[in-house]
Amino acid sequence: MILSGWESVFFWIFSIAAILAGLLTVMARNAVHCALFLISSLVSVAALFILLGAEFIAGVQILVYVGGVMVLFLFVIMLVNVGAEEEGRAPIFNRPAQVTAALVFLALLAGILVIYAIPRGYQAMQKRDDQAMQQANAKRDVADSHLATAATGVSRISTQTEKVGMGLFTTASLPFEIASLLLLVAIIGSVMLARTLKQEVAADDVDQEVLDEISAASSKADES
Amino acid sequence: MNHFSTSLALIFQETSRASTAIESIKHPDLSKFLVIAAILFIIGVAGVLTRRNLLVIFMSIELILNAANLNFIAFSRYLQDTGRGDPISGQIFTVFIIVVAAAEAAIGLGIVIALYRNRETIWVDEIDLMKW
Repeated sequence: MILSGWESVFFWIFSIAAILAGLLTVMARNAVHCALFLISSLVSVAALFILLGAEFIAGVQILVYVGGVMVLFLFVIMLVNVGAEEEGRAPIFNRPAQVTAALVFLALLAGILVIYAIPRGYQAMQKRDDQAMQQANAKRDVADSHLATAATGVSRISTQTEKVGMGLFTTASLPFEIASLLLLVAIIGSVMLARTLKQEVAADDVDQEVLDEISAASSKADES
Repeated sequence: MNHFSTSLALIFQETSRASTAIESIKHPDLSKFLVIAAILFIIGVAGVLTRRNLLVIFMSIELILNAANLNFIAFSRYLQDTGRGDPISGQIFTVFIIVVAAAEAAIGLGIVIALYRNRETIWVDEIDLMKW
């Protein structure tokens, strides 16, 4: 997989955008700004998915993450309003000792990964797979010759989405069903967690004893 | 003649070493995608470890999961190119990661709302009820 021409230009644009937006997500003071920077980071990574030939995943990323999860995040940010952080009265990071320890550890991790582990591992993989890659490329060029050329002029419009759909409903059909069950549990769980006490009482989910205790405690708190 | 050809090869090697850096920028390969994913992952972990706002910590977790997705897709493409293994299983795995991330966000935000209702705070250093 070696990109060339416009593909490499877009690769550098979107990867730098993803990293900068990720950094700003972690460093922005206002939580709404964090969410917006995270959205731009996710969109840039979706563009990288398209460069890698995974159009379906890029679409799912934008529809589910940006359209669903991040809108949910924005709703919750609006609900839990943190004025002190935005106005600069409260610190946004933990205590300096914790932050320094975390950053030293992560800088070490980043250095080892980026300078040593990934280049060495990729070199070894390339040495092993060089011949197989050429053979597979030649085979794929023949197989893909009937597909239309993409807008970049380098690659062809692929049938990846069809293959992913086939895979989801054949080899991965059991995990697919389990995922639907997981989503159902998540829906019910979040509804249960976010109920107020009033709603719980209305649904007859609270014992009378517990209710008396809570009302006694709250009246005591009101007095003091 | 033989001497001339070896010196030519040496000169070629020297120029090629200087041009490999430009070449790797012009033609990014799998390792560049892995580096980008690693950097995104580390930014996400830094957010989890350093921020005080619970919601921003959740967003950093999304960033970490996204970096893992990028790795999966990059290796899926690599397997397509080499013809070893199942080339689309990486993409299928990514779909499941996105599903789990959505479920995690729904549950997590429900917990945040319940917490804010009871404690009136979303700063993790003030949520220390279970700390001994």
